[in-house]
Amino acid sequence: MMAETLAGDNMRVLVIEDDAEMASFIQKVLMEAGHSVDMAIDGERGLELARSTDFDALVVDRMLPAKDGLTLLKEYREAGGKTPALFLSALGDVQNRVQGLKAGADDYLSKPFAPSELAARVEALGRRQVGEPQVTSLKAGDLEMNLLTRKVTRGGKKIELQPREFRLLEYLMRHAGQVVTRTMLLEKVWDYNFDPQTNVIDVHISRLRAKIDKEFEEPLLHTVRGAGYRLQG
Amino acid sequence: MKLGLPTFLRTTTFKLALLYSAMFAAFSAALLIYLYYSTVYYIRTESDRRLDLEFEQLGNAYYTGGMERLSQSVLERMTRTGSTYFYYLEDSSGRKIAGHFQRMPVAPPEVDSKTVYFDFDQPEPDGTMIVRSAAGKFVRLRDNGGALLVAFDTAQQTAIVVRIQSAIFIAAPIGLILSLLGGVLISRGAASRADELARTAEAVMGGELGRRVPVRGSGDEFDRLGQRINAMLDQIEKLVDATRNTGNAIAHDLRSPLSRLRNKLEIALSKPLSQEAASATLSETVEEVDRVLATFNAILRLARLEAGAEGERVRMDVSELAEELAELFDPACEEAELSFKSQIARHLMVLGDRDLIGQALSNMLDNAVKYTPKGGAISFTVARGPDGTIDLTVVDSGPGVPPEARQLVVQRFQRLDSARTLPGSGLGLSLVDSVADMHGGELILLDAGGPARQPGLKAILRLPRA
Repeated sequence: MMAETLAGDNMRVLVIEDDAEMASFIQKVLMEAGHSVDMAIDGERGLELARSTDFDALVVDRMLPAKDGLTLLKEYREAGGKTPALFLSALGDVQNRVQGLKAGADDYLSKPFAPSELAARVEALGRRQVGEPQVTSLKAGDLEMNLLTRKVTRGGKKIELQPREFRLLEYLMRHAGQVVTRTMLLEKVWDYNFDPQTNVIDVHISRLRAKIDKEFEEPLLHTVRGAGYRLQG
Repeated sequence: MKLGLPTFLRTTTFKLALLYSAMFAAFSAALLIYLYYSTVYYIRTESDRRLDLEFEQLGNAYYTGGMERLSQSVLERMTRTGSTYFYYLEDSSGRKIAGHFQRMPVAPPEVDSKTVYFDFDQPEPDGTMIVRSAAGKFVRLRDNGGALLVAFDTAQQTAIVVRIQSAIFIAAPIGLILSLLGGVLISRGAASRADELARTAEAVMGGELGRRVPVRGSGDEFDRLGQRINAMLDQIEKLVDATRNTGNAIAHDLRSPLSRLRNKLEIALSKPLSQEAASATLSETVEEVDRVLATFNAILRLARLEAGAEGERVRMDVSELAEELAELFDPACEEAELSFKSQIARHLMVLGDRDLIGQALSNMLDNAVKYTPKGGAISFTVARGPDGTIDLTVVDSGPGVPPEARQLVVQRFQRLDSARTLPGSGLGLSLVDSVADMHGGELILLDAGGPARQPGLKAILRLPRA
């Protein structure tokens, strides 16, 4: 089965945040990215809305009045809620991250965060659907990746990739059309929760780009200034 | 140090000491009373027994030889040296047959076995009369109606009892006073230790963060409490320092980028901009702000690390982590036209936090890439170190760090002048040092052995093996 690549998914996002300024900021960022945003200012109301309406993604702050984010998420998941959720927290240390993920969050972002990071991660959530049928190959433009044979071709021509390059490309293809930040790549492709200061990722990207774009007319791998990268045909 | 009397009377230690004294006194009293009565009882029963023995012997004499034999026996006993008994024998008509006394000195009791007590006068050699106390037993001779009294001087017995009594009466109050005194001394000792703790706490609260509780090395509870409190104060000092440093750090390191940002924006505002230029400026602004945020995060993280509030250590394969990092940095080195060599011994385990060690190694590699000029070489090795440690070493061929600057470099935000122009928040080695510390290891900075002007830096993150 093939997964169609879509550009600019328009998502319906629920933002549960009690800090008015932060909330309106998040709303602005997401709306600018083309999504529609609903808001809740406390845990109880947030849970209610999440249950009663079908959202594409949830953005939940950890510290909330009436019901804190962790409890909210746990209860939501226990009640069968499947919408992917991004956890926001002022405390960025690893223990809280693990806690958040265990409670049912799909991603975790600590404040302060760059708006591009938020937008990228929310959009990445939109792709994650529980119960999605297993995909055997990915496609972006004329680039094809067979997940079973581990073979990559563009325009029919075979492309040799190192294992790490393959994983990098796979992630980009799964999020084709979306902005993928360097932090996201470090976390998902390299499984690191820290930041090398030199942009080591950039070099890996440029190597990958050389392999998939150089000999072809249309560039697929774009750099999004101030945010990250995007694979788009 | 003198404690006010009312204060120390209220202390728990005094109350406890008082309680112990009371218990001690009660038990001692009970013991003494028991001793007294059992001694007195023993004395009485002993003399009774001997008296009965005397009667038995006299009885035998009477049964074998009648009154005559009995009076003979009495006379014999009276004249025997060392005799302590007084005798009196009379016939049925009350006439004296033999004995010390002129007549029966005491009225006979209703029952023969009952002990009788009486006083009598005894002439002294010099003619004076003194009164003596005696106790004795009476026997009525059934056949002929006579009576026999055998008694002894109770003076000795009384003297013993009195002696015991006086001993007790002297010992008891002395014991009580001593136990109270002991209680007071003990409680004063404890109270002064407690007071010491209180005063240290007050001094610390008043701002003397370096103050510690004096520890005597006696190993008692107060010493142990003192040590615990000192450890807590160490931690508090560390936290306060970390907080203070964070404040300074934020002010110091965020001021320049924020100022730069402001200037850029001001300039952009001051003249009309094309759409393109405006776009570019705004993009740059966003990038700068992102950098500021990243620095901010890094500062916070470092502060938390130093305060011991971050990181969870598990048994992990540090070789695996190193290999992945080597793979991550290899292309960057190539891009910077540096040769990259890695030699990583496999399956080396540490008790550590993967993210923190990863960050530390990443910082070290980052530094190497940043400060080594083109054409240089970087090597990354992971191997067993001395004494059950693991050495994670990054060697570069850059300018290195002169020995006198090595302490500085590890401090926050220090970058050597030669590197002032390079981007980066300068938190790199500072974090490595903190991570080393937290894992019970150390960061060692050495010359890499290159030419004098460019010796290169050899940075070793040494961690204990798990």
